[in-house]
Amino acid sequence: MAPSPRDRLGTVVRYLGPKLVQFAFVIWATYTVTFLLIHFLPGDPVLAALSLKGGDATTTDPAELAALRAQYGLDGSLWQQYIGHFLSALRGDLGVSIATGQPVADMVARALPNTAAVAVLALVLGVVTAVVITFLAFVSPWRWLRQTLLQIPPLGVATPAFLSGLVLVSVFSFGLGWFPSSGSRNPLGVVLPAITLALPVGAIFFQVFSAAVLEAMAGPYVFTAVAKGLSTRTIFLRHVLRNSLLPSVTILGLLIGYLAGGTAVVETVFSRDGIGRITVDAVLARDTNVIQGVVIVVALVYSVVNLLVDLSYGVIDPRTRPALGGRRTGTGRAGSPQADSPQAGATSVDAARDKAVIES
Amino acid sequence: MSTTEQPSLARRLPPALRTALSPGVLLAGLIVLAALAMTLLPGAIATHDPYTGIAADRLLAPNATYLFGTDHLGRDLFSRVVHGAFLSLASAGTAVLVGVIVGALLGLISGFVGGTLDFIVMRFIDVLIAVPSILLALIVVATLGFGPWSVALGVGLGAAGSFARIMRSQVVRVRNAEYVEAARTLGVRWPGILFSHILPNAGRPVIALAALELGTAILAVSALSFLGFGAQPPEPEWGALVSGGRDYVATAWWLSILPGVVVLAVVLAVNRLARLIGGDR
Amino acid sequence: MTTTDSGAALLRVTDLQIDYDTRSGLTHAVRGVDFTVAPGAIVAVVGESGSGKSTISQALVRRLPDGGRIVSGTIEFAGRDLTALPERALRRIRGAEIGFVPQDPSNSLNPLMKVGEQIAESLRLHRGLGRAEAATAAVRILDEVGIPDASSRAGQYPHELSGGMRQRVLIGVAWSCSPRLVIADEPTSALDVTVQRHVLDRLETLAREQGTAVILVTHDLAIAADRADHILVMQAGRIVEQGTPADVLGTPSHPYTRELVAAAPGLTSGRLAPRPATATEDPAAAAARASITLAFRASAAATSAADILVVDGLTKTYTLRQPAGGPQTLTAVDNVSFAVPRGSTFSVVGESGSGKTTTARIAARIVAPDAGRISFDGRDISTVAGEELRQLRRRIQVVYQNPFGSLDPTMSVERLVSEPLRAFRIGNRAQRAGTVRELLAAVRLDPALVDRRPSQLSGGQRQRVAIARALALGPELLVLDEPVSALDVSVQEQILQLLVDLQVEFGLSYLFISHDLGVIRQVSDRVAVMRTGRIIEQGEAAAVLSAPAEEYTRELVASIPGRRRS
Repeated sequence: MAPSPRDRLGTVVRYLGPKLVQFAFVIWATYTVTFLLIHFLPGDPVLAALSLKGGDATTTDPAELAALRAQYGLDGSLWQQYIGHFLSALRGDLGVSIATGQPVADMVARALPNTAAVAVLALVLGVVTAVVITFLAFVSPWRWLRQTLLQIPPLGVATPAFLSGLVLVSVFSFGLGWFPSSGSRNPLGVVLPAITLALPVGAIFFQVFSAAVLEAMAGPYVFTAVAKGLSTRTIFLRHVLRNSLLPSVTILGLLIGYLAGGTAVVETVFSRDGIGRITVDAVLARDTNVIQGVVIVVALVYSVVNLLVDLSYGVIDPRTRPALGGRRTGTGRAGSPQADSPQAGATSVDAARDKAVIES
Repeated sequence: MSTTEQPSLARRLPPALRTALSPGVLLAGLIVLAALAMTLLPGAIATHDPYTGIAADRLLAPNATYLFGTDHLGRDLFSRVVHGAFLSLASAGTAVLVGVIVGALLGLISGFVGGTLDFIVMRFIDVLIAVPSILLALIVVATLGFGPWSVALGVGLGAAGSFARIMRSQVVRVRNAEYVEAARTLGVRWPGILFSHILPNAGRPVIALAALELGTAILAVSALSFLGFGAQPPEPEWGALVSGGRDYVATAWWLSILPGVVVLAVVLAVNRLARLIGGDR
Repeated sequence: MTTTDSGAALLRVTDLQIDYDTRSGLTHAVRGVDFTVAPGAIVAVVGESGSGKSTISQALVRRLPDGGRIVSGTIEFAGRDLTALPERALRRIRGAEIGFVPQDPSNSLNPLMKVGEQIAESLRLHRGLGRAEAATAAVRILDEVGIPDASSRAGQYPHELSGGMRQRVLIGVAWSCSPRLVIADEPTSALDVTVQRHVLDRLETLAREQGTAVILVTHDLAIAADRADHILVMQAGRIVEQGTPADVLGTPSHPYTRELVAAAPGLTSGRLAPRPATATEDPAAAAARASITLAFRASAAATSAADILVVDGLTKTYTLRQPAGGPQTLTAVDNVSFAVPRGSTFSVVGESGSGKTTTARIAARIVAPDAGRISFDGRDISTVAGEELRQLRRRIQVVYQNPFGSLDPTMSVERLVSEPLRAFRIGNRAQRAGTVRELLAAVRLDPALVDRRPSQLSGGQRQRVAIARALALGPELLVLDEPVSALDVSVQEQILQLLVDLQVEFGLSYLFISHDLGVIRQVSDRVAVMRTGRIIEQGEAAAVLSAPAEEYTRELVASIPGRRRS
């Protein structure tokens, strides 16, 4: 009765297939929507961008304009531009920036590590703090500690990044001189921006994570664990934590996507290079190639993260794994609303996603 | 059944009223009322003209005359903040309205009709959510031009995705609920089901989300105006005020920090009330 | 009030009082309870919801839900007072000396942990076994509790096991360290009746073999009578009666106990007799009801067919989609045929997965069959659709199992009951209000409840509202899908009596679905027994239930608790 290798392959394909299709679709659709939005601007994108760049010295000679168009890949019909850009993007060529004259791919490649450094640090700081606070708040027997700790996240969510960034800069850069206030070269320059970002990231993660922990702790299986005589710490680590992972991983994915978009505000406050900064500059300069390039890259990052999150569900929750060999699962009581069928597992994943969206 | 004893006076109030009178909620309510007053009647609250400044009084620290100090042109910061309330809050409110109308409508249609239409709409919503909202807002602003209303539209479209998802999942939940099937067997037709059953039951979580999103929208709108995409100078939108004061952070910190604190306070208050509406304690 | 003989009682509870302190106020859940449990004895604690029985079981392991606390009293276990012990000492006792079998098999096992591991965890903690040793011991325990193919099952997750198997795993968890006392809180209430019998058998065997004392908490007096040496009857936080099953059932002294004994479906035998209220009612109410009943009777007299519903060869299959596996076909209903005589009750009984609910839904034309014919009152309605189907709804109505799920939580009782009248535009506002009042009176519901929401009503009241709503259009056939399964036993009896009365008053025919043979016995004229989509046996209720022809039916009848005593 063991499933043959062909069966296994079939199951894997049926499981992965839709997800990969979704992955490709989102990237394609994002590109298309952005393209449509940009090219339905009133007026000519090339002229608008050039005039912003050159001011009165902008050339209006048709021949020169045509040459410039070709250079920036903005010649030909709309359809040709659409296909052309897409195909070049697949090859890794994102065009040339109208404002700076550099290849877009180079600009993005330079900016990405900066954004990534801050994002990763912020994520680590935020998540670790959130987990520690959750642990302390729920495991500690003192009510006052729990109440105080639970007041912090709403503050974290409500604080605008520009405020916290500026306050940190005032106090720690201008005031105490511990960290640099701007620039991307100094490795210490990552710290203050990361702390600024860690605040909302950690707060949002905390809300979802702690809600998931609360729900898990109210579950009947926690009572069973207590009745077995297990200690609170063991129960938290072995029973509760794993069961609160699903919505937490989902929100983690959403947060990574959000950070990938470049946190323009933080980069502006700290005068760092990054994805957010080049996007802002591109929008100000109507530099359509850069905007398109950034959107594609961000959509790519977001989709990869989403795919990984989706696959991780299978690892975390055995109920969402494909059933090999078609073993029939038993059913519960007559008319009972909770089904023991595999469908229950699938819908709980969507529920986790929806819940994460609510809480984000 | 076991009997319930008479609780103390504080306990005898219905739980909803008791939460409503807790200190946190009262404070939040006061702040929101103050913000509303600033939005609707700026002239009555502001102490000076927000657009003209006295050059001799530039960069003064907060004092009795100028409650929040003055900026580099001698303008009273407090009055600018008061007048900026309308720009920031009205545009955030518009953003939420746009998000709810577009999103809830899409979610309702998608969830109610189901089938292929549902699938297509949801793929579109996936894309809307895939693009980080600030990027989406920037694209809309790039397309439509700068200003508080483009920002509102951009932020609103970004929020529409979440609303659509929530509304759809609620509509699907209610549509599959036993009482809807019961209503069908009682002879109620689909329009009746939509209005009597689906909307009242699916609507509440969406409204709770709208209240929460208002806080997020205020943050997003002020962030975008901080970056320069909102109302252009000399309009005193809150984010723009913070941005304008950046150059003076070391010497005249109040120019950036105080408007930022105002944003923080309003968002905190709005979120607190939103949780109350949503049914949290 | 102490009971059992042997001097050294294993557990002695003295004047236990437990309160719940929540936002809605202070509740006295347990108000002074005394009892003892001798070593190796099986003691049943019987009560309905709100009696405090579950609270006691949770207090014995000192794990009350939020807001609960022991106000006074002592719990002496093997010489130590559990109420005075610190948490660390309690943890050594839990699992090792006191085991607990929880109620809900679908949620009481950690869904992300393998089943064998959940037993091994306990062994490693209390017996100090190593990983490999504990794993082997866990497999042995799974075998002992009657799980076939234990070694491969140990590596599975809870969702891959059926409800009955999960409950056995929970029993295994409780018995893993050979405790002296096991508390079982409603261990079988979520299970099918045949499964229930086997699980309880196993529990009893384990207890007798190992000399474990058992406290069995249950709402079902019949189960208590079958299995326990000693019964405690609880009501509103107090023990109102205790004694051996023979004493409690044979000569109950407290009125509540007498009520429970009378109401327990497994213990009573015959069909309920209709008691139309017309004899005892005051003239005004009787006249009001007569106006509705006349409308009913008029339509009933006009038609001709002897059988109000005839189904022939119904078949329905479903295709289930797995998360990534291939589709799986399930034959829910397989060539089912029967006829419901006018004015009688035709019951379909079966366990979960038997297809009885699907059959009822097909008969009510909620779901379309894949094959077969349905005739209502002589007319073929198998393919009726659209507005014609909607008009048909006036004659066939449904009452659902879950009284909370079938009523819209945002609507008042008035709106709920008048909804069908509004849907068909019957009468104006004032007339509808009047009809609502008459309908509420017909179901013996206080008309003052007309503005309440479902959340403000008890389970029994909600079900009455559902019945009133179903009667509003003057139907001839009611399809009732497990209408009393979600209700307390004493309330069950009231609703069943109401249904029997209404049948006579309004000339109704019933298609009654249930898994509970005891309930079926009380209301049916004809019975069909279903299993995996097929009708195994059908006929006159008295005949089928007292002298079943088929093996499966015999097993079902034998599994009704209370057989040993009645």
